[in-house]
Amino acid sequence: MPGAAALPHPGLIAAGFLAALIMAALAGLSSAGGTATLMPSPYLWGVVRGAAWQAALSTALSLLLGTALALALTRRASFPGRRLLMAVITAATVAPTIVIIFGLIAMFGRSAPLPALAASLGLTVPAIYGLHGIVLAHVVMNAPLVARVLMAAFAATPAEQARLGQMLRFSPLDCLRHLDGPVIRREWPGLAAFIFLLCFTSFAVVLSLGGGPANATLEVAIYQALKLDVDFARAASIALLQILLSLAFVLAFSAIGARLPDAPGQTRGQPRPDAGSRPLFWLDGAVITGAMLLIAPVVLSVLSGLGQLLSLLGADVARAALTSALLAAIAAGLAVLLALLLASAAEAAPLGRASPGRARLIDLAVLALLGLPPFALVTGLFVLLRGTGSLSGIGLVLVPLINALMALPFVYRLLAPPLRQSAERHGRLSASLGLSGLAHLRIVAWPVLRRPLMAALALGAALSMGDFGVIALFGGGDLITLPYLMAERMGAYRLAEAGAIALVLVATATALTFLADRA
Amino acid sequence: MLELDALTVRYPDFTGCYALTVPRGALCAVIGPSGGGKTTMLHAIAGFEPVSGGALRFAGQNLLPLPPAGRPCSLLFQDHNLFPHLTAAQNVGLGLKPGLSLTAAERTAVEDALAAVDLADEATRLPGELSGGQRQRVALARALVMRRPLLLLDEPFGALDPGLRKAMISLTDRLRREHGLTVVMTIHTPADIAEAADLVVFVADGAVQHVAPPAALLRPGHSPALDAFMGV
Repeated sequence: MPGAAALPHPGLIAAGFLAALIMAALAGLSSAGGTATLMPSPYLWGVVRGAAWQAALSTALSLLLGTALALALTRRASFPGRRLLMAVITAATVAPTIVIIFGLIAMFGRSAPLPALAASLGLTVPAIYGLHGIVLAHVVMNAPLVARVLMAAFAATPAEQARLGQMLRFSPLDCLRHLDGPVIRREWPGLAAFIFLLCFTSFAVVLSLGGGPANATLEVAIYQALKLDVDFARAASIALLQILLSLAFVLAFSAIGARLPDAPGQTRGQPRPDAGSRPLFWLDGAVITGAMLLIAPVVLSVLSGLGQLLSLLGADVARAALTSALLAAIAAGLAVLLALLLASAAEAAPLGRASPGRARLIDLAVLALLGLPPFALVTGLFVLLRGTGSLSGIGLVLVPLINALMALPFVYRLLAPPLRQSAERHGRLSASLGLSGLAHLRIVAWPVLRRPLMAALALGAALSMGDFGVIALFGGGDLITLPYLMAERMGAYRLAEAGAIALVLVATATALTFLADRA
Repeated sequence: MLELDALTVRYPDFTGCYALTVPRGALCAVIGPSGGGKTTMLHAIAGFEPVSGGALRFAGQNLLPLPPAGRPCSLLFQDHNLFPHLTAAQNVGLGLKPGLSLTAAERTAVEDALAAVDLADEATRLPGELSGGQRQRVALARALVMRRPLLLLDEPFGALDPGLRKAMISLTDRLRREHGLTVVMTIHTPADIAEAADLVVFVADGAVQHVAPPAALLRPGHSPALDAFMGV
């Protein structure tokens, strides 16, 4: 853009805004008093080791189950109930964390049907609380994500290769080796990094299902420092440790060539040379059945809330729903704006020639945002803002802001690839036609970005709507969202009512996702 | 002899019904407007399209009940003929054994096939390191080791420079004579094929409209549709 060279690109301003926000929050936090320690204590190192082991286990199992499921569903392009299964998988990828926790407790908790059945048979099932409970929840949340991303990647391989496989008489093993293997090798590193960071910084799952101090993450330690010890500086130093570890992790992963996994796109049928294999038929049947036995009950347990839906008509639920919708709308808008600015900064080279180095740097920085500690950020910013307004007034600003930051990596995945493609395909043509500014946006960018933008807004809203992170610290009084209300009902053992709220949350998130897919 | 007798492929928005006879060992070029059904015809012969009626025979054998791997033909696509993670030699080797555990004799066969397409020195290269013409020659080499008598090519050289296109067609023609192949290829530029082809087939609106030797068919005034396609 000639003439505009003096101004920094808006994307760089967005990046600067994010960096300043994070530093201000940490500075605010450590200025608030307490005992800052530069060297982490042995306890903290224990937490790091435990969380890393938990995250590695969760990641490995999610990848294995998700990949087996993706292969099975790709090979079985049509069978009765497949659409329903795909809907359950989609629902599981967007179901709020608190709902997954609720589902697991409803299925495997002390008075739940499964342990009761086992007990009547004279068996004892270990309680859901502990490392296995955490890992189970993480697998239920992430294996469907792996399955969706891989199915889209399998479908995107050229149809010629599948036909070649048919012509060359590929056995099931040859198909795995030549058709699916390269796709899996390409997608796994990015997926692994993504899931590992999610599980390493997991909060609500670990707090609810951890079953005690033996299982923690740094995120939980920050929460405890803030809520139990009221030691702000300590929280700040744990937050800094988490940020540094996440950055180091992302850098290590980028060194082996991992990239942010693309968001799952549309999947279409492909001829499969191995669809006729008998042994694979039984294997796929077993994998699909097994995965569904694991995922479906947790997602469908919210149906137990059906009978209590009428109880939701109370004024407090309506208010919480309205608050949730408002916060989610603000957060989604902000996340999409930031993602667009950052993604376009990666393409801001002259003549549409993308600079791969800068694009990669921004991709990695966005991936590292997954390691941001929301509690530390929100508390630090609160310390800076306190005295400027009422608690709920400040919360109304901070909750959507932090939710937007948390949703940013997910939203960015949806927007960056189409923006990149549009720049590669039409950059020179637009430049030669002199299309820039609003005309460029209307004629070139909007038609390409309309669908991804809608999808990104919907995903951002779904994630923020279901968020049970910051609100756990900030909620109460005037500021009550649906997940907060749901956690309150669960805490009071009013499980049927909690189930009804969970139903509303899952239904909203799933509806948003399906709307986005068809936008 | 390759025989298509009212071979029918039916889609909601497209119906192809083909009648064609190609003598054994002939080189048959298929021309026609885009979307007229050329690729569909080749895919139906190779077994990649569901056929709803008619007959398909090669050397007297009914091909319709056979899966793609069981048919006596190999098909070259315009693109994506090679697996990007395998070397040129491995891609050729797939034609012998998909598991790639080749015997010494089979490895020699792969080397010979690569030599036949003038790629003996590129055996260990990945497809990404080869030019477009070299990639198509690797695919031709694989078709050779598969030893299937019917070679189908779907606009295989469309993306190449004119000189390279001519060279690839004469290579295909040479291989056909040396190995006794029957070749059916769709082609974008009829002039390229005028010398090598025995037969030219004009396909439009999902049917074979004309079949004739190139000298007769590529002359203006054969039919209005053909003239419109040729731009005369």
